[in-house]
Amino acid sequence: MRREDFLTEPVKHIKINGKLTVDQLVQQFKNAGSFGAGRLATACDIYERMLRDKECTIFLSLAGAVVPAGLRMLIADITRKRLIDVIVSTGANLVHDTIEALGGHHYKGHSAVDDWLLYKYHIYRIYDVFVPEEDFSRLDYKVAEMYEEIAAERNGESLSSREFAWELGKRLNDPNSILRAAYEAKVPIFLPAVRDSEFGFIHWLHAVKENARSKLVLDAFKDVPEIVEICRDSPKNGMIVIGGGAPRNTVQSAALATKKGMDYAIVVTMDRPETGGLSGSTLSETVSWGKVKSKADKVMVIADAMIVFPIIVASAIERLGENFDRAAYKIGKMLEGEI
Amino acid sequence: MKEKSDGEQQKFCGNCGNHAAYEYPNKIFCSMLFCKGKNPIVETLWCCEYWNPSSQECYCIKEALKNKTNK
Repeated sequence: MRREDFLTEPVKHIKINGKLTVDQLVQQFKNAGSFGAGRLATACDIYERMLRDKECTIFLSLAGAVVPAGLRMLIADITRKRLIDVIVSTGANLVHDTIEALGGHHYKGHSAVDDWLLYKYHIYRIYDVFVPEEDFSRLDYKVAEMYEEIAAERNGESLSSREFAWELGKRLNDPNSILRAAYEAKVPIFLPAVRDSEFGFIHWLHAVKENARSKLVLDAFKDVPEIVEICRDSPKNGMIVIGGGAPRNTVQSAALATKKGMDYAIVVTMDRPETGGLSGSTLSETVSWGKVKSKADKVMVIADAMIVFPIIVASAIERLGENFDRAAYKIGKMLEGEI
Repeated sequence: MKEKSDGEQQKFCGNCGNHAAYEYPNKIFCSMLFCKGKNPIVETLWCCEYWNPSSQECYCIKEALKNKTNK
């Protein structure tokens, strides 16, 4: 490269003229093009392209406590509007979704609080969000009853985590619930670490209960052919990753197993790559595995997803218009009978 | 409800290792009773034969007693 090739586009300084819509602010970020602002603007562009691409299946990967923190309704809405096609989540995020569906709440709290006092009052803390223990108790009680009902219906046949999520969604009446929205919109939800959440401990309660009619059997390996087929059957695949962990790995592994690689990738994380952990691994690193194509439309935004993700969604909706009708790509032949 | 004897902690559901808040502070969810197929929602100031000591103290009993006194 020549010297002048490095000096082609000057930074345009952010100008705030009166009222700005979300996307107008994003355009200002794009004009500046630097640091987190530039990356966020790129993420908005990539999400718009994913949505406009009729051949792309969009995977949303969720890790970190974004549901208790306030993204529940946003995720339920984009699920219903089919602005994503597949959700892969920690069990915990859907546990918190279920807590609210059963009438519980998450409360604005503070990180600088006496945690021993909270313990004595039976209040749990998720950074600066508080959850009363009774909401978990109600969850345990009600969901254990659901497990028994599902197990009786299945009559010993195991479920994949995707089937499990839909069975729960079928039994929740809250329209703002992610599980309910996914069940109604037939958006698959995979929970690769379902045991590592309250859903796992509820299973323990359910399994040791005397006089239980039947026991729920969840087969984690059943998820693998389902998600691999969704990825394989789609001409193109894109992922939006919030956090990382097992959900990100599950999505990327489907792209690896099918030798397809993601065509689009947005990763929003605060984690670092130096530990070798997946949550902080760069998209360049994923290219080495073939999980993301080298020429993929991709960006990593190092930021708090609570700020960034609503901006990405709001910006995309503003660009596409409220009436944008995304012809949802037909996912996975294996799920055809159920969808 | 079992009576307190000298040098012995008075036994309540609210200081049992199986308790979780249900309607704080008056009612608790008992995982032991749930597993036994019995009604798991019991009074904080109740107690049964499955009692075992809680590893850390909480305010359930203190606040349930306060509520009872105020009634």
